[in-house]
Amino acid sequence: MHLDEFLAPKILIVSGKGGVGKTTVAAALAVVAARHGHRVCIAEVDRKGTMPKLFGATDIDYKPREMSPGIYGMSIVPDEALAEYLDVQYHMKRVSRVFTSSHFVDYITATAPGLKDILVLGKIWYLEQGRTGPQFDTIILDAPAAGHMLTFLSAPMGLSDAVRAGPLHRQADWLVQMLRDPRRARVHLVTLAEEMPISETLETMEVLHNRIQIDTGPVFANAVYPAHLTTADVKRMDEILDDGALDELTTAAEAVGLRLEDEDLQALAGYARFITARRAIQVKHLRKLKQGTQDPIVELPFLFTAGLALPGVEEIADSIEEGVAKL
Amino acid sequence: MNPIGEILSSKEIIVCAGSGGVGKTTTSAAIALRAAMEGKKAAVLTIDPAKRLASSLGLKELSNEPRKVSVRKFTAAGIEPKGELWAMMLDTKSTFDSIVERYASTEEQVEKILNNRFYRNISGTLSGTQEYMAMEKLYELYADGDYDLIVIDTPPTRNALDFLDAPNRMTDFLDSKVLKWFLIPYMKAGGGLFKVANVAASTFLRLVKKIVGAEVLDDTAEFFANLEGMYDGFKQRARDVAHLLQSDATTFIVVTSPAEESVDEATFFATRLNGSGLHFGALVVNRVHPRWGDEIEVRDRQLARLQQSDGDGPLLAKLIFNERAFRKVTTLEDRNLNSLARKVPRHRWVRVPYLEQEAVDLSGLVLIGDQLIAG
Repeated sequence: MHLDEFLAPKILIVSGKGGVGKTTVAAALAVVAARHGHRVCIAEVDRKGTMPKLFGATDIDYKPREMSPGIYGMSIVPDEALAEYLDVQYHMKRVSRVFTSSHFVDYITATAPGLKDILVLGKIWYLEQGRTGPQFDTIILDAPAAGHMLTFLSAPMGLSDAVRAGPLHRQADWLVQMLRDPRRARVHLVTLAEEMPISETLETMEVLHNRIQIDTGPVFANAVYPAHLTTADVKRMDEILDDGALDELTTAAEAVGLRLEDEDLQALAGYARFITARRAIQVKHLRKLKQGTQDPIVELPFLFTAGLALPGVEEIADSIEEGVAKL
Repeated sequence: MNPIGEILSSKEIIVCAGSGGVGKTTTSAAIALRAAMEGKKAAVLTIDPAKRLASSLGLKELSNEPRKVSVRKFTAAGIEPKGELWAMMLDTKSTFDSIVERYASTEEQVEKILNNRFYRNISGTLSGTQEYMAMEKLYELYADGDYDLIVIDTPPTRNALDFLDAPNRMTDFLDSKVLKWFLIPYMKAGGGLFKVANVAASTFLRLVKKIVGAEVLDDTAEFFANLEGMYDGFKQRARDVAHLLQSDATTFIVVTSPAEESVDEATFFATRLNGSGLHFGALVVNRVHPRWGDEIEVRDRQLARLQQSDGDGPLLAKLIFNERAFRKVTTLEDRNLNSLARKVPRHRWVRVPYLEQEAVDLSGLVLIGDQLIAG
């Protein structure tokens, strides 16, 4: 697939179960789009605050701020979105302390189911329309974790039920149109090659297609251990270990002037067995994922890190580009 | 004795907390099963278990009461617990319904609330409800006195701390002075906006009416009117739960992985526990990559020669390359864990390495339980 096609919808929604690396993938997608010359905005919706850290930026808030060249970050907070909505729709400035109290927001968003989500999606709609403020070619929504994301995306459909007329009803319809148009919006699910995240991904996918009717794109299978060893390598290693013929490795090492102690051989075998066993589990689960979905799967490598930083994001971006090119 | 062993021999309630994806649910189930193996009658209250874990515990649907894991399931897994394992998946909405039934003074009040549209909207979704109901259920199970040990898994929140604050958030909302101030006059004025004397209140009501419509406002006002007199029950229960969590019966286990974000959260959470008068029992570090010996010192030149040699040379080069990759991740994990150790003393830690199999069935949970006791 050409990147033009991949980046055609302006809105890319990234979601997945907690702990699968959703934010890293959202950031990497932004890097891919920015490298392609797009002006990108990443919108975080749950105030996690990890996004700016990835780009080495300070905090982000409701107003989009450039975190790195061509990549803007913002945090969509329902309170702010409500205040903006009241201002735009009803020319109501936040004159009273009441309107800023968190109870007010809780109350008003509790009265109508999903109003909070509508306000957030409404902000995305504003950004997409680009009538005021900064213009973006790509808007990446770092969406809530999978379970909540479904409630989040179905909010506009649910609201037109609860509020049957008036501006809010009309606006909910606009959002439904936006979400259901594959030229405008697409969901990318992120998963790990493990039991729980994959079964959750498949369940989520079904609801996305059937109930929400939103387009889905390649699924990103994150943190897949690379194939450092081929099947033949593993077979040969097992032979050596089974026969207790470790001296064959010691001999090979000595030929290049390397002395391997017993402890070193244990470590080499230990790590080799570990990656082989974990990869086998991952491959098994990836097969299940492939069987369960029509969407292509892009595997992203485990980076052998234990934290988030920009170099890692760039590497993931490389893998996304490679993976997409192969589709 | 290791921290988990100590907890099992002295505590009656274990709350497992931590950020998403670190194995909180599995850890909760493994601890409860371990207690059952040792002869206790243990219950695990899960919030959002994976399907296979749920089915291995015999949980097919949300329920409001724990069910006993059948002997047949244990036999099939080749396990013979001396005690009993009970499990339940929290049903937030029906727990809320049963609270309404308990605190309402008349049948009519119950009916009115349960059928109210505003109530139906918020009872599953209002922020803090799931946490409040989890705590409510925990309190009920403990008060019944049927179990030697109750292990509770906490809801997946944006961050682990939300779960401590959430129940108050819910009761504050229901008891909001702001709401009463505006809605009670509205009710008393029979729903007529312009009869509300208070100017600020009528501005507020007009705004709400504009946004969500009159019907919704009526539902809401009716709900709050019916709820009057019940707040005290809610608040009292929230206070009772807070006392129980602070009592000697309860301890918290913080679950983390060695990844930076999850370590940051665990650190924050453990610190906060101490500041809130809650007992911090143990830190479970899951998903730690294994370590063997020290890094092998190889020059890049030697590695290049190995790659070009024949026989087992290229294989050895790959093995060394693989080992280097793991040294990189274990070094970074150690760095994160060292910073964690500055806040949480290591003697409260239990490390659970990656297993070569996944623990999604009862025998897998037994293995994890063994690790938790040994680690």
